[in-house]
Amino acid sequence: MGFFNTILFPFKWIVSWIMVAFHDVLTTLGMDAASGITWTLSIIGLVLVIRAALIPVFVKQIKAQRGMQALQPDMKKLQAKYKGKTDQLSRQAMGQEQMALYKEHGTNPFSACLPMLIQMPFFFSLFQVLSGVAKANSENIGIGAMTHAQVVQFDEATIFGARLSDALLPSFQGGNLTVTIAVLSIVMILAMIASQFITQKQIMSKNMSEEAMQGPFMKQQKMMLYVLPLVFGIGGINFPIGVLIYWTTTNLWTMGQQFFVIRRMPTPGSPAYKEYQKRREAKGLPLLGASKKTVEAEVIAESPDLKGQRNQPQRKNRKKK
Amino acid sequence: MSSSQTQGRAPSLLGAVARFLWHVPRNILIIVLKLYRRVVSPIYGQVCRFFPSCSAYALEAVTVHGAVKGTWFSMRRVIRCHPWSAGGLDPVPSPAVVDWDDPSTVPLIVQLNHPVVFLAKQQETQSRKAA
Repeated sequence: MGFFNTILFPFKWIVSWIMVAFHDVLTTLGMDAASGITWTLSIIGLVLVIRAALIPVFVKQIKAQRGMQALQPDMKKLQAKYKGKTDQLSRQAMGQEQMALYKEHGTNPFSACLPMLIQMPFFFSLFQVLSGVAKANSENIGIGAMTHAQVVQFDEATIFGARLSDALLPSFQGGNLTVTIAVLSIVMILAMIASQFITQKQIMSKNMSEEAMQGPFMKQQKMMLYVLPLVFGIGGINFPIGVLIYWTTTNLWTMGQQFFVIRRMPTPGSPAYKEYQKRREAKGLPLLGASKKTVEAEVIAESPDLKGQRNQPQRKNRKKK
Repeated sequence: MSSSQTQGRAPSLLGAVARFLWHVPRNILIIVLKLYRRVVSPIYGQVCRFFPSCSAYALEAVTVHGAVKGTWFSMRRVIRCHPWSAGGLDPVPSPAVVDWDDPSTVPLIVQLNHPVVFLAKQQETQSRKAA
């Protein structure tokens, strides 16, 4: 545990510093320093900072998604080559060729491992800060950048009558479970699970290409869609309310990003992509992705039944041709 | 794996115990990595920009090179796996000293990370059987 804490120490310091900074700003703006709402907003501020720092990663991913268009023909060839080969080695060989293909085209749809791994210590240290508040209060010490006075204030701050460091199961075991703690915890756990489930469900039902839907990992992912809420539900009864607030806020951010992606940058070949193309067509914008050849072919195919109708309003993308 | 061959004909109990203890850190890491690949990887879906993925790379590196060197290689790989890296193929350095002629003695992760080689091997043995 000592090794773990040593690694987490700088992260704990950063997390507590950001929260204190938000708390200071909010207090100067006239909010009550001792109020649980001020500290709740500080936690939300922490989420905003972390997620905003990750926006470049998100933008990078979206740009890569655009690049995916260009390699569709090569990808189709690769899929044809490995069609029906479901043994592990063939799957691996296909994955290997896919990666080489991405590199060749200078695009990669994956967000890389480092951003994901960097988020983990932040979450663990927030967990430690929030669950360590009561102990630090009784031991007369501060946490990270938080002074002891701020720790006391944080520990005693309540939101709807529950403290941010209260958690459902520990309170129950400690014999100090109140109705407010129970209700607030359960509401927050449900909010956390729902936001995650909806995001995941949206991705899987709307933003996956047909190839990915039939891929080898789909069964596993479908199972995870339902197992995950269970895992977080069980984990959630141990989470302090502050952590639940953090988790729900970050899920909502992800949901917003995902909504944007599904609406504006859907994965080629997915149901969302078809809807996107339909919307573009309705607006008279040129279709994305389809090469010039197929667009012209479509136009030719459509023209016979257009000939018979007079005064048909012309689509913008047809005018130039 | 098969280091007893190099140590001659007298594999004493002491030697076996020493070897077991020597491999404890490596085997703990292997268990942790396998658990991660079973439980956490499916939740996140693929995020890695390389082949083999970071966790597959780490598992091979630790299996082949042991806990210290393997961890060192893996850490450097994870740091390389950032959104601005080109990704692509990136095998574990200095490949395993394995018996390429008998795939059954090769750890599964090594096979999975070098699929082309072992697929060729598979086909070769199949055609030999057919002949």
